[in-house]
Amino acid sequence: MCSRPTYRATVRRPVSGGEPAVRLEGLGKRFGYAWALRDVSLELGRGGVLTLRGPNGAGKTTLLKILAGIYRPSAGRGTVLGADLADDADRVRRLTVLLAATDFLYDELTGVENLRFASLMAGDGRGPRDWDAALERVGLTPAAHDPVRTYSTGMRKRLSLARVLLRPAGLVLLDEPYGGLDRQGAGFVDRVVEEIREEGRSVVLATHRGGEAARRADAVARLEAGRLERLEEGRR
Amino acid sequence: MSAPGQGSDGDEGGVFRRAWAILWKDLLIEGRNKQSFTAMVSFAALVLFLFTFAVGPDPELLGRLAGGLLWVGIVFTGMLSLSRTYQSEEKGGGLEGLKMYPGELRSIYLGKLAANLVLLTLVEALLFPAAAVLFQIDMWPHAPQLAAVAFLGTFGFSVVGTFYAALTVHLRARELMLPLLLFPALVPVLLGAVNATTLTLTGDPMGNFDMWFRLLVAFDVIFFVVCTWIFPILLED
Repeated sequence: MCSRPTYRATVRRPVSGGEPAVRLEGLGKRFGYAWALRDVSLELGRGGVLTLRGPNGAGKTTLLKILAGIYRPSAGRGTVLGADLADDADRVRRLTVLLAATDFLYDELTGVENLRFASLMAGDGRGPRDWDAALERVGLTPAAHDPVRTYSTGMRKRLSLARVLLRPAGLVLLDEPYGGLDRQGAGFVDRVVEEIREEGRSVVLATHRGGEAARRADAVARLEAGRLERLEEGRR
Repeated sequence: MSAPGQGSDGDEGGVFRRAWAILWKDLLIEGRNKQSFTAMVSFAALVLFLFTFAVGPDPELLGRLAGGLLWVGIVFTGMLSLSRTYQSEEKGGGLEGLKMYPGELRSIYLGKLAANLVLLTLVEALLFPAAAVLFQIDMWPHAPQLAAVAFLGTFGFSVVGTFYAALTVHLRARELMLPLLLFPALVPVLLGAVNATTLTLTGDPMGNFDMWFRLLVAFDVIFFVVCTWIFPILLED
């Protein structure tokens, strides 16, 4: 079998030394006999933004879930901010926060109650003032005490983003953050990504669509059928 | 609060905090839609009613069978609760939603176990008085002992049931597989609970109550430790 090239992405302006935000070497993930991800190698420096592009089934979500500590890799090695993806999943989950394509919200609970549950589960020490501030930041204050089942798709996405904003994680993972959002909502996502970057945190973002954050990433990785086909510098 | 990039602080009390969060969330959801509780109470009342008709109006026979009939009713009713244990997670995208938070995964099991235990205890609080009326038994003098047996039996049922509900949550035929897998594992706790309840209600001339009570305690301790310990393995992808 011929060996595949190793792609490496680095931020143009490294924020600090130490371990990179993401380092993957020959990473693979298998479900049963099917490989969802194969031989992915890349490196992302701290404070960088990496965009994952690719069609459905390319492995973007699988890669994000591995980086979030939800899936354990089946092959290869990898670290997130120094934490090993295979052996230290709990630390990986402490260092990352994921905006999943599935929103993991509870319809019967209100917006505030969903944030309260997330804070209790994460142990982030956040309280009512933080939840109100996060909801205000995403423009959901008027609907804060409404059950989530009454929310539109865009409102659910905003609430999921508020949940992400509550966590001070070093690596922020966004899976299809523009899905269900109008132009204004997509602009809001771009601003959030920029703010996260300015705080010195890193972002890995998977999307079909453009968006400022996707276009202006430090690096854009193209996944096809579970393989990293191309990795190029962003337009930033 | 942690600095950006450092994530949340590790905390030893985190397992109980997360278990409490899941219990709070599940009971709040149940309190809002009342689906499980209403279904469980209706079903339990129906089962007891049918048993009373099937056995007939003989108070002596009903008294002797009361322990067995009560626990069959509790187990059938509990199956409704167990099959819905992870339903609220399924709607939101499955257990992955709970796996993305830091901390020990066994807190998910403990939270779900507590929620099942609370729900089933509430149903039993209505079921036992209803059984006393239908079976024409004066349970009140035995209330403390019955409460202890009911708690141990319900705890054992919930411990094993919550574990098996997680085991079958991703199966297509989970409604069928859950009772098929669970009932054989429940035999010891059912034996202990039925015999301890019957001896409490009908008298214990041979002094056998302690033996069944100890069986219940042993079952609960062993299965609680084992299920809590191996639960994280169930969640591995």
